[in-house]
Amino acid sequence: MADATRKPPSEAERHAEHGTGRYFAVWAILLVFTCLTVWTGRMDLGAVNIFLAMTIATIKATLVVLFFMHMSEAAGANRLVFLMSFLFMALMMIGVFGDLWTRNEMTLPSAHPINFGPE
Amino acid sequence: MSSSDTHARHPYLAEHYETIEKQDHAVRLGMWLFLGTEVLLFAGLFLGYTVYRHFYHETFHEASRTLNLTLGTINTIVLITSSLSVALAYHAIKHGQRQKCLGLLTFTIICALGFLVIKGFEYQHKFAEGALPGQFYRFHEVTGPGANLFFTIYFLTTGLHAFHVIVGMSVLIWVMKGVWKGKYGPDYYVPVELGGLYWHLVDLVWIFLFPLLYLI
Repeated sequence: MADATRKPPSEAERHAEHGTGRYFAVWAILLVFTCLTVWTGRMDLGAVNIFLAMTIATIKATLVVLFFMHMSEAAGANRLVFLMSFLFMALMMIGVFGDLWTRNEMTLPSAHPINFGPE
Repeated sequence: MSSSDTHARHPYLAEHYETIEKQDHAVRLGMWLFLGTEVLLFAGLFLGYTVYRHFYHETFHEASRTLNLTLGTINTIVLITSSLSVALAYHAIKHGQRQKCLGLLTFTIICALGFLVIKGFEYQHKFAEGALPGQFYRFHEVTGPGANLFFTIYFLTTGLHAFHVIVGMSVLIWVMKGVWKGKYGPDYYVPVELGGLYWHLVDLVWIFLFPLLYLI
C-alpha cells in the first residue's frame, strides 16, 4: 500500500505489539487490590476507611482504563473526551462538597431543635 | 480512472469516509464520547450517594454492614476476570485467532450471567428481609433515619449497573455473531474493540460501587 507509508501511523498501528502477559499482570494486580480493599474495609480506621477505599478504587480504575481499555495507546482526542467527563464530575463534586462540608448543624436533617435558653 | 476505482474499497468502509483509518478514528472517538456520558450518568448517582451518606453517616455505615460481603467480593472477582477475558478476546481477534476469540467471549458472557445470578440471590435476600427502598422498607435490623435511603440508592445504583451488564452481554453476543461469521480479523476488529470497551466500563462502575456500598 503506497499511501499507507505516507500517512502518520494510524491508531491501530500505534497499538504497540505486546503479548497477553500484560493483561494477566493487570488482572493479578486488580485481584490483589480487591483483596486489600476487602481486608482494610472491615477494619475500623475511622475517616481513613473511605479515603483508603476510594484510593484503591481509583488505582484499580486507572489500571482498567490504561491497559484493558488501551487508553495508554489511544489517540489524543479520545483521551480528551473521556477525561473531560471526569473533570466535569470533579467540578460537580467540588461544588456540592463545598456546600455540604461548610454547613452548620442546623441545616442537617439530624439537627436537634435549638435551645436558645430561657427567654 | 477515478481514485475510488484504483483501490478496492474495504467491505466495511461506509461511503462517507475516505479511508478505513478515518472511519475507525471517528468510530473510536464516538465510543469514548459515549463512555464519557456514561461516566456522567453514574456520577449523578454517586453524588446523591455521597450527599445522603454525609447526612446519615451512622445509618449508612450500619446498613452497608448488612450487605453480603462474600457475594459482593465474588462478584467483583467475576467482573474483573470477565474484563480480562474481553481484553484477551480483543488480542486474539487482532491476531486472527477466531476460535480463541469466540471461546473467550463465551467465557465473558458466562461470567456476566454468573454476576447476574449472584446479584439475583442478593436481591432475593434483601426482598425477603424487607430491606427495600422508600415506603416499602420493613427491615428491622437497621432502623435509623435514612435507612431506607441507603437501600433506595443500593437498588438504584446496582439495578442500573445490572442493566448495563445485560446491555453489555447483548453487545458482546452481537460481536460474537460477527466473529462467528468471520467478519472480523487482523485488518478489521473495531467492533470487538468497542464492545470490549463497553464491557470494561461496566467493570469500572462496579470498581467504585463495590467499596461504596459494601465496605464503608
